[in-house]
Amino acid sequence: MRWLFKQQKKEGKKAETEQYLKKSQDYTQVSYINQVTNKKFTISFITTLIDESILQNDALPFLLEKPLENIEDVKKIVAIADVQISNDESEIEQKLFNGYVLVTLESDNSNFAFLAAQKEIVRNITTPEIEFSVIGPKEAFVESLDQNINLLRKRLPVKELIKKEVTLGTISKTKVAILYLENIANPENVQTLMERIKNVEFDAITDSSYIVQLISDNKNSPFPQLLDTERPDRVAAVLAEGKIAIIVDGSPHALITPTTLVEFFSSFEDYFLNWILSSFFRLIRLFAVAFSILITPIYVATLSYHYELIPKDLLNTLVTSRREIPLPPILEALFLELTIELLREAGARLPTKVGQTIGIVGGIVIGTASVEAGLTSNVLLIIVALAALASFTTPVYKMGNAIRLLRFPFLLFAELWGLLGILICFSFLLTHLIRLTSLNRPFLEPLFPPRVTDMKDALIRLPFNKQSRRPQFMRTKFPFRHTSGTNNQNKDIDE
Amino acid sequence: MEQLVPEKGKISPFLVFFLLHTMQVGIGVLGFQRIIAKYAGYDAWISVLVTGLSIHIILWMMYKIGETTNGDMLSAHTFVFGKKLGKILTFPFIFYFTLVAVTILRTFIEVIQVWMFPDLNTFWYSLAYCILAIYIIFGGFRTVAGIAFFGVILPLYLNFIFLFTLPYTDFKNLLPIFDHSVKDLLMSGYKMSLTYLGYEILLFLYPYIKDPQRSKKWAHLGILYTTFLYTLITIITFAYFSEGQLQKHVWPTLTMWKAVHMPFVERFEYIGIANWNIIILPNFCIALWCASRLLKRVVHLKQKKGILLISFACLIAINFFKTREQINKLGDYTGLIAFFLNFGYIPFLFCLVLLVKKVKKK
Repeated sequence: MRWLFKQQKKEGKKAETEQYLKKSQDYTQVSYINQVTNKKFTISFITTLIDESILQNDALPFLLEKPLENIEDVKKIVAIADVQISNDESEIEQKLFNGYVLVTLESDNSNFAFLAAQKEIVRNITTPEIEFSVIGPKEAFVESLDQNINLLRKRLPVKELIKKEVTLGTISKTKVAILYLENIANPENVQTLMERIKNVEFDAITDSSYIVQLISDNKNSPFPQLLDTERPDRVAAVLAEGKIAIIVDGSPHALITPTTLVEFFSSFEDYFLNWILSSFFRLIRLFAVAFSILITPIYVATLSYHYELIPKDLLNTLVTSRREIPLPPILEALFLELTIELLREAGARLPTKVGQTIGIVGGIVIGTASVEAGLTSNVLLIIVALAALASFTTPVYKMGNAIRLLRFPFLLFAELWGLLGILICFSFLLTHLIRLTSLNRPFLEPLFPPRVTDMKDALIRLPFNKQSRRPQFMRTKFPFRHTSGTNNQNKDIDE
Repeated sequence: MEQLVPEKGKISPFLVFFLLHTMQVGIGVLGFQRIIAKYAGYDAWISVLVTGLSIHIILWMMYKIGETTNGDMLSAHTFVFGKKLGKILTFPFIFYFTLVAVTILRTFIEVIQVWMFPDLNTFWYSLAYCILAIYIIFGGFRTVAGIAFFGVILPLYLNFIFLFTLPYTDFKNLLPIFDHSVKDLLMSGYKMSLTYLGYEILLFLYPYIKDPQRSKKWAHLGILYTTFLYTLITIITFAYFSEGQLQKHVWPTLTMWKAVHMPFVERFEYIGIANWNIIILPNFCIALWCASRLLKRVVHLKQKKGILLISFACLIAINFFKTREQINKLGDYTGLIAFFLNFGYIPFLFCLVLLVKKVKKK
């Protein structure tokens, strides 16, 4: 009795699904008769999701002309590799929406077959736009999950590269893949990440940035705690370090975790250059970031409180440029900083060509006009423009955004207590960074907790043969990258 | 003995170097030279060196206490005096560390008020400092250690600033050596010991060290580094000022920074004082942390609540010290208490611990 009830419920499910599907006009259901056995069969599919040439060339001719006695025969006769036989009616909805064709026999109501006939609309692989590099590979991720994993598998063709897949989002049913190297990655990290991802509850996940915000350690921090990248080569390189990658279907940005603050300031191009050059560029970048955050607040602090700091000759220049300005330094600085933010925001929202024009109009016309009108001093204009320029040197866009925001609290503290205020604000920032973690691993490592081994690829990058160990903070299963360099004999001249 | 601290809250042994060193270096560095020179003249650098080296004995005692009782001050007290009396004896230390925190912050604000902002509001600045300290301590001891680490590393460049004074120095000022009596030297050593204070925190953070045996080396190095730094600063100061001139400066270190001239910066002491923020911050935090930690250990008040309570007390107390004399007195009394604690009570406790250990063995 109970069994019968279950059966009825199942059948009800199929009928219910069909009823829903029929409301959509791209749902098709056609019946045919097999020419050998005279059995009647029905195929149903969603036209927008399947490739009709597969159906017409590899499935229908065989279904019509080859002997079809029962549902198992479908597997033997059609020329499609992915054919699944099932009796679970709850699968129907999911399969149809994944681009399968449903085949049912009139004589057999409980079993049915699914034929894979997905239409793959894939954007061509293009060059990276945000993380462009002059040298090195020019491939970037696209929106298709399979394509992205293909790019990674080609770079790491080993069986240890494990892919786990989770479907997230009650409505969007987004496929999220987690990739790691089984023999290197710390299982504890994988475990933590899997748990966090499984606990995600949201209706529609349309991009990897959603995942970033949903699984971050500290969700109230302006700093991104997962590194996002569009370069498959970068993901492959960090997978080999023992990190874990997350790829979200429909997003051209892969996520990397656990990550550290210094990683956000390393461009992947650093690894293509000689270590001396790349170390130099890294230091320049770090200096640029510090400059970008601090220079306007220092201007406000010195001109509001500590003009004694400036030597006589330099003070002359500053005073001359500020003589006509009616505003106190803080208002002057806020006005210019906000103008720059406006230009940036407008430039980002507008189409490329118009955006460039806005940049020129804004940068040159507004800048010059406001100096001539006596609203701002030209020294400050130079400072603010340089600071804006410096903030663009961060290789990761999301970190650049965080840095844009940071200078405003610094400005307020500078106005409040001058240099002391800047130092207090800096202490707050430092504390925040010390407290941050990424996948429970310290975010500020290797600066704090200080680890000498990891310093080799942090502020500077030492040559590859000196980097025999994987980053320590992740506690990888196998900490050695290579064992060369151990037989370094001391050779004398001309030996 | 039960585990006092979970494993993940502990810190690497070498961070003890930074914790001890940063706690020792505070506001005292700005003005100790005048006080010690008052007693032993320009032989005072010998006192600086000898006092610094004598601290290693106290440090050795503290490690012995820690090893024997395998815990902090309360464990030591419980070991010697039993549970109830141990708690009662530990209780005053809460006040001691609150007092230390108030002294540190108030003296620093005084320096700011004298050199930079005559009308800086003590209350608001202390409030900002307290909020910062609370934010740090809420991050756990690991964060406190982090601030201590950066509190040593970031201002390192200040040491090189003394190079600017070298053209104006005359090292013949130091001659002749040994023209003061031993009593003078001892007196100046006593005054110097106040500048060295702070290493007693080891007894309170001992359970937080991952491998105490390995941290010994770092603790001794930390104190050695402080001694080295102080001796160097003393010698440079004595070479820079003449003996009579030195007595006229309350904060000779700041005056020396005035010698710095760069194409884009003058009056370097402004930057120096602003930077001193980062040096004072770990001191203040560690003192507050110790007080709130003891509060938790003794009366089982949650540390989160304890820290709020103590910083509130600090905020109120700090308003009572307004004039130069009051602040001076505050510093003198805190120094006196700390001196007896370090050179009197700790050796005393050390002997007691050894005695009780022997008795218990029998």
